[in-house]
Amino acid sequence: MAEGLALIVNGKIARVAVGGAKTLLSALRDDLRVLSPKRGCNQGVCGSCTVLIDGEPRRACLTLVERCEGVDVRTVEGLANDKFMQALQRAFVVSGGVQCGFCTPGVLASARALLAETPAPDEGEVKAALSGNLCRCTGYRTIVEAVLAAAKEVSL
Amino acid sequence: MSAFVRHPASVEEAVGWLASIPGALPISGGASLMAMINARLVEPSCLVNLERLEELRGLSLQADGSLRIGAMTRHRDIAGSALLVGAHVLLRQAAAVIANRPVRNMGTIGGALGHADPAADYLGPLRCLDAEIEIAGRSGRRSVPMSQFILGWYETALAPGEIVVAARAPPLPAGATLYRKVARVSGDFATISCALRLEEDGRGTTARAAIGACGPAPLRSETAEELLRGGLGDAEAVARFGAALQAHADPIDDVRGSADYRLKLIPRVLASAIAELTGADRG
Repeated sequence: MAEGLALIVNGKIARVAVGGAKTLLSALRDDLRVLSPKRGCNQGVCGSCTVLIDGEPRRACLTLVERCEGVDVRTVEGLANDKFMQALQRAFVVSGGVQCGFCTPGVLASARALLAETPAPDEGEVKAALSGNLCRCTGYRTIVEAVLAAAKEVSL
Repeated sequence: MSAFVRHPASVEEAVGWLASIPGALPISGGASLMAMINARLVEPSCLVNLERLEELRGLSLQADGSLRIGAMTRHRDIAGSALLVGAHVLLRQAAAVIANRPVRNMGTIGGALGHADPAADYLGPLRCLDAEIEIAGRSGRRSVPMSQFILGWYETALAPGEIVVAARAPPLPAGATLYRKVARVSGDFATISCALRLEEDGRGTTARAAIGACGPAPLRSETAEELLRGGLGDAEAVARFGAALQAHADPIDDVRGSADYRLKLIPRVLASAIAELTGADRG
């Protein structure tokens, strides 16, 4: 077993083993049991593994874990007290933006990054920001409504 | 740190390892390479991480007015760069429509060039801008014009062990630019793309155009561009221009469209892009 690596996941230091082309997604799910990022396509297409790296949404499945030393890795588990995430959670409940839930953590990561960067996004900006997150329940309309409502709530 | 991922301190150290370790591959943003590793399409023996090499980062305007984009510059940074002005705006327009936001936060121009997917969004614009690709290898540095960089399907002028260091676009006369991407859905690879810029001189305006995803390399014909000079408002001249590029096309059938469909699109996309840039479609 190769020597380990120190990650900062949701504000806490966590050691994971490295070896081969191990991805951040594998470290999160398989080693640390941080299970909100999902292994969907493993090709960077579906968006269900989207996490925040230094605040930016990126694909955990395409991120080499050995490039994550010293960076801030955030998943929805580590955003419970975040004002943007709290507004998003409430809005998703109200508008019914969650169906099966598989895409939801990735959608929330992308939406959280949008709200932190663009305080009052219009519908087109929301759709552009979420265009890399596929929802196969096709709940897009309610998802977009929820993000718009959350943006409004945060700005109040 | 594992022995599988190596972190070179210089470009020379990186290309030294790539030349001496059998099966080693360079990793830039990882947006394509990691997907291919996950799918077991490639199984490198080791990855040489180019991320920390300062020389490969960022955009800069050179003393001669050319624009240099380091290989590790991400799509996100190109899409948002204020250094891209005049004809160079074309690269910003292309970068903005690559995949989606999380992927644009990862993928780099050097990685896109090294991978040379025929549908990649930078290839046509770089060809249209007469760009040169700076390359480093164990035997030294060299520069290859974009017109000679792509040799075949996913095949580039990079010799084993060589990496892309930067793309360099020469200073060009200012002129309107447009990147038109035809894709099935937002974020998909192009079914066909058209990089276009208008260039005016004393003999009249012409279009510089490169068509993507219709062959291993972008299609461009400088001869046809000269024949078109002064004829941008003439539908027949524009149709002849489209037919000239169509004649060089070698598209394939894939999930994004049949070869026939792509051939049909070439003159139509060109004509509509030219009409948009010249304002004819608003007349």
